[in-house]
Amino acid sequence: MKKVQISQIIVNRGSEAVFNGVITASHLRDVSRALDSLDTRGEVVLDFTGCSGFDGVVAARIWSGIRLLEGSGAKVRVNGLAPNLMKLLSDYTALDKRDLPEDKQGWLFRHFSDIGEKVAAGIESARGLVNFSVNSTFSIIDALLKPKRIRWTLVAYYMEQAGVMAIPIIVALQTLLGFILGYQAGIQMGTLGAAKYMPKIIAYSVLWEIGPMLTAVLVAGRSGSAFAAEIGTMKVRQEVDALEVMGFNLCGYIVAPKVLALYAVMPFLVLLSNFSGLFGALLAGEIFLDIPARVFVEEIRTSLIPLDVYWGMIKSLFYSGIIAITGCFMGIRVRGGAAAVGRATTSAVVSGIFQVILADALLSLVLAELRPPII
Amino acid sequence: MGTRNLTGGYDSDRILENVSMDVFCGEVLVIVGRSGCGKSTLMNHLLGLLKPWEGTVSYRGTDIWESPERLDRARKRWGVLFQSGALLGSYTTIENVMLPLQEFTQLTALERRITALHKLDMVGLAEFAHYYPLELSGGMQKRAGLARAMALDPEVLFFDEPSAGLDPVTSHSLDELMLSINKTLGTTLVVVTHELDSIFAISDRVIMLDAEEKGIIAMGTPEELTTHHNDPRVEAFFDRKAVPVKP
Repeated sequence: MKKVQISQIIVNRGSEAVFNGVITASHLRDVSRALDSLDTRGEVVLDFTGCSGFDGVVAARIWSGIRLLEGSGAKVRVNGLAPNLMKLLSDYTALDKRDLPEDKQGWLFRHFSDIGEKVAAGIESARGLVNFSVNSTFSIIDALLKPKRIRWTLVAYYMEQAGVMAIPIIVALQTLLGFILGYQAGIQMGTLGAAKYMPKIIAYSVLWEIGPMLTAVLVAGRSGSAFAAEIGTMKVRQEVDALEVMGFNLCGYIVAPKVLALYAVMPFLVLLSNFSGLFGALLAGEIFLDIPARVFVEEIRTSLIPLDVYWGMIKSLFYSGIIAITGCFMGIRVRGGAAAVGRATTSAVVSGIFQVILADALLSLVLAELRPPII
Repeated sequence: MGTRNLTGGYDSDRILENVSMDVFCGEVLVIVGRSGCGKSTLMNHLLGLLKPWEGTVSYRGTDIWESPERLDRARKRWGVLFQSGALLGSYTTIENVMLPLQEFTQLTALERRITALHKLDMVGLAEFAHYYPLELSGGMQKRAGLARAMALDPEVLFFDEPSAGLDPVTSHSLDELMLSINKTLGTTLVVVTHELDSIFAISDRVIMLDAEEKGIIAMGTPEELTTHHNDPRVEAFFDRKAVPVKP
């Protein structure tokens, strides 16, 4: 009978595999080859007489190999296996047969079951957010009544982070968006001979909607997520618990500086965003649509009333409260480790933007009542 | 495994100076010392997490920093139990144990599962295989971390403060588990701790570090250190006495 030596394993082509020496995970392929080449039509012999040991990884391969051989009808005989190694293989078999609490939440089940539970959790979360918002509002009012207790250096820090640092991206994006909107509106309206109305249309859309909304989305993405991540990490490191047991008012100590900072910077960010949008449209008119800058400015000046300019800034006060409080709430709710902080960050952005759009819808109804018709 | 004239630390903070020590095959070596003496720093150097400023860290006779491949190869022969267990929170316990098997072996899904289950069974957690780390107690998380550290049958197992945060009963059962791994599998254990009970229960040899010396001040069996050592710092440590702080 021809013998083939593979590393430390000798396979008698046919019905016998001989294992020699110490077999480790680096010999796994040889072990597989030896087991696969066995003839399964009769009795199969695995001879471990010369084998002084193998590790858990190799044991798993030998165990599953024996299972496969037996499954394909072969009668497997194991020779010369040391008692401790034999016990390892029989431990595997016993564990495989043991009635362990299986993953009752299979992948699909885990993600698509318990829809009712998730809806209930959503409602509970919304209720928690309302409670948290009310508490935070009272804490902020209380803090404002005792301004010495507010940590103004932190307010300044968050103003810089959420406001000053956001200026470049807001100006760049809004200028580009204004340019695109102005260009597209001018081209389409030009086909109807109404290109001269482009400044007016763009002014209303930028000042009422696009300016405040884009600013809110950017601030939710930058600052809302940062607030959630910061507080979430504090929660994981038990810093929040430490403050709580020391008797600190969490809303006043952690939340108030962030909310006050956003209240302070958001109106100015919106104002800047609006000017950038109009400037972008002005450039589009000047370069591509034969609308001189002087005409563009004059058109806007005659069609806008002060409320149009202030409206976006007024809306931004609602948005800043929503974004800051939602970010802080998602951070406070964190339980667990790094993954929970990641989830809180995502929730802060998604939930913040959703609420901003909801608030925008309600505020549009208010504007419709306040603003005289444009024509 | 061992160090020769190892000098190292963090950034510009020199913690260890000229430290030479050996870890012998199959022994339980315990590194002790007061807080800030450099126990964890020495372990981080042994693990290749910190690069020596001077001197060498060797494994099986060769410098682990000779090439990145050598360090990678050495690390695959080691397992580490971190203080908190360091389980990944988004994976179940069994998924955590299967992680190194999936990454470093060609085992099939069934083989990975049975190997991981066996390791979990060794630490008494087979019934909790599908629990998430958050659903386990502190002691169970450590045992699960140990199962993950043992997944690839390492030659050396490192433990960073295994008793930290555990009650005495759980701590004792973890000590027994470590001893049984050492005795039945022949795994070398390197343990950083300052729990006296653990030191006496598990160690074959003890190395004591000191912050002022920036190195080893005593070495030997626990009995040698407690009965035949005249250094007041060693005596104070084992007698739980305060050492006067120098002005």
